Amino acid sequence: MSGTRDRLITALLALWTVLVLVLLYVPILSVVLASLANTRYMRFPHKVWTLDAYRDALGQYTTAELHLTSLKIAVLVALIAVLLGVFGALAFARFEWRGRSLYQRLLLLPIFFPQAVLGLALLLAMTAAGITPSWRTAVFAHLVWVVPIVTLVISIRLYGFDVAQEEAAFDLGASRLQVFREVTLPALSPGIVSGGLFAFLLSWSNLPLSIFTTGSDTTLPLWLFSRTATNYSPLVPALAVIATGASVLVVLAAALALAGWRRLVARRSA
Amino acid sequence: MAVAVNGPILSLVGLTRRFGEIAAVDDIDLEIEDGEFFTIVGPSGSGKSTLVRILAGLERVDSGAVLLRGRAITDVPANKRPTAMVFQSLALFNHKTVGENIEFAPKMRGVDPRARRARALELMDLVRLPEAYYARPVTRCSGGERQRVALARALASDPEILFFDEPLSAIDYRLRKMLEVELKDLHRETGKTFIYITHSLEEAMVMSDRIGIMRAGRLVQIGPPLEIYQEPRSRFVAEFMGEVNVLATGEAGVDGAGWLVVRPEQLRPLAPGEAADVVFEGRIVNDYLLGSRKQFHARANERMLIGEIAVGAGGVPGPGEPVRLGFDLKDAVRVSE
Repeated sequence: MSGTRDRLITALLALWTVLVLVLLYVPILSVVLASLANTRYMRFPHKVWTLDAYRDALGQYTTAELHLTSLKIAVLVALIAVLLGVFGALAFARFEWRGRSLYQRLLLLPIFFPQAVLGLALLLAMTAAGITPSWRTAVFAHLVWVVPIVTLVISIRLYGFDVAQEEAAFDLGASRLQVFREVTLPALSPGIVSGGLFAFLLSWSNLPLSIFTTGSDTTLPLWLFSRTATNYSPLVPALAVIATGASVLVVLAAALALAGWRRLVARRSA
Repeated sequence: MAVAVNGPILSLVGLTRRFGEIAAVDDIDLEIEDGEFFTIVGPSGSGKSTLVRILAGLERVDSGAVLLRGRAITDVPANKRPTAMVFQSLALFNHKTVGENIEFAPKMRGVDPRARRARALELMDLVRLPEAYYARPVTRCSGGERQRVALARALASDPEILFFDEPLSAIDYRLRKMLEVELKDLHRETGKTFIYITHSLEEAMVMSDRIGIMRAGRLVQIGPPLEIYQEPRSRFVAEFMGEVNVLATGEAGVDGAGWLVVRPEQLRPLAPGEAADVVFEGRIVNDYLLGSRKQFHARANERMLIGEIAVGAGGVPGPGEPVRLGFDLKDAVRVSE
């Protein structure tokens, strides 16, 4: 009977989905469990369950500083990457010009570079130019890698965009700027939102580029990496959990702000 | 046809646009009367789209001039011309609602929200869109509804001239027939000048005051629909009308070079002994009932002939039967090219 076979397929699909979810979330869950221990080594099961690590993490000045450094880098990267990505995508997918195919290839090159090599290369270049690495140079380093990705994400929207919409707006009396604001930008907005989100999260969690380019400043992934390698304590997983929560909060806040802004625009034009 | 009172609304003088070696628009002179429904008909690649884009200000010219009521607007960009276009793809703003689409032009002009909403609802009524559609996203409208939104959006800019770039080409037959009639009604109601582009002469016949036949960047014949139909000036125009017999003069036993254009209703089956100027002996291949008329295809002298008679008028032999067909020279149109 095909009914039995359908049920079997459904059951197998469900099993597969559960398996994938378990594989995704067990590591994260294990970090949460590790953060509730008081041992000097990561191991399970542990005997004592305690929130001491969280008390320590929230009590120390470093936690806030790490978050602040990572946050200002990621927010700046997201904003600049979106700005460059919008115009980069227009050049990538919307307009025909001499050298476009060369531009398309060159733009994608940084994505194919191993990040550690890219980070080292940037450090060497900055040293040669006499620039002292700090969180500002890390913003630049992240952008080198993130802008191509954001450009691609926004370009995908442009490929499905009927250019006649811009002509129609122009024909109906809009100026070039109005055409961009009223037609092109709204059509790209889903790409801009997902591109900005990508940029923020890629920067927030970046380790290989930050290792070489932050100088004396420390980001969250850098601190987590170095404290895991040496001088481990449950403070490390506790801070990792806090950082994950913080990034979720930032993304949620951005989504809420965007939804609120859209409602405002909708009400104003209604 | 509209009567010229204040002279032409639009004059085209030696208009030329080249793409590389090819002249898409080749030295066109034309005058469009105020309030006229003018249709440009041509096959794809004839340059009709380029021509209308030039008139809308979306395409530049290489030479020549466009005059609006005698004033040169050749270099005026599309957003500064009192014209609006309904695009082939319709080009609706997909992220906006029906209302927002229609209100676009008034919004760009800074009309306040309440006034533009009132105007949008008025236009929706004119193009027969229910008021409930105002807040609906255009992506949730059907093909016919999208046509009406595009039309209302163009009208909302209060244009003096409306351009249509084959907007009905992707629509199924019955809906297209309905929209053609509505468009003709709308033309009469608004009194605006309509310039329409199509590859279908049939569509042009239904709606137009005048038709211009375009071929390779030139207008080869301009006239009212009936004149184009009855007096085609070339084989190209005659064959563009579709079901028509084009015979070389030699084939019909007529002196001189050129062709004879014989429309199906002028080719009649002959009774025994009945005479006609030109007679063919052949066999009926098949016949087709077209409502009140019957069309038949016959083979004679290795060529196909198309004829049409009114149902009940005499009759035609059945498929496979021999037949004598004939027409009179006074009914045929002679063309030299």
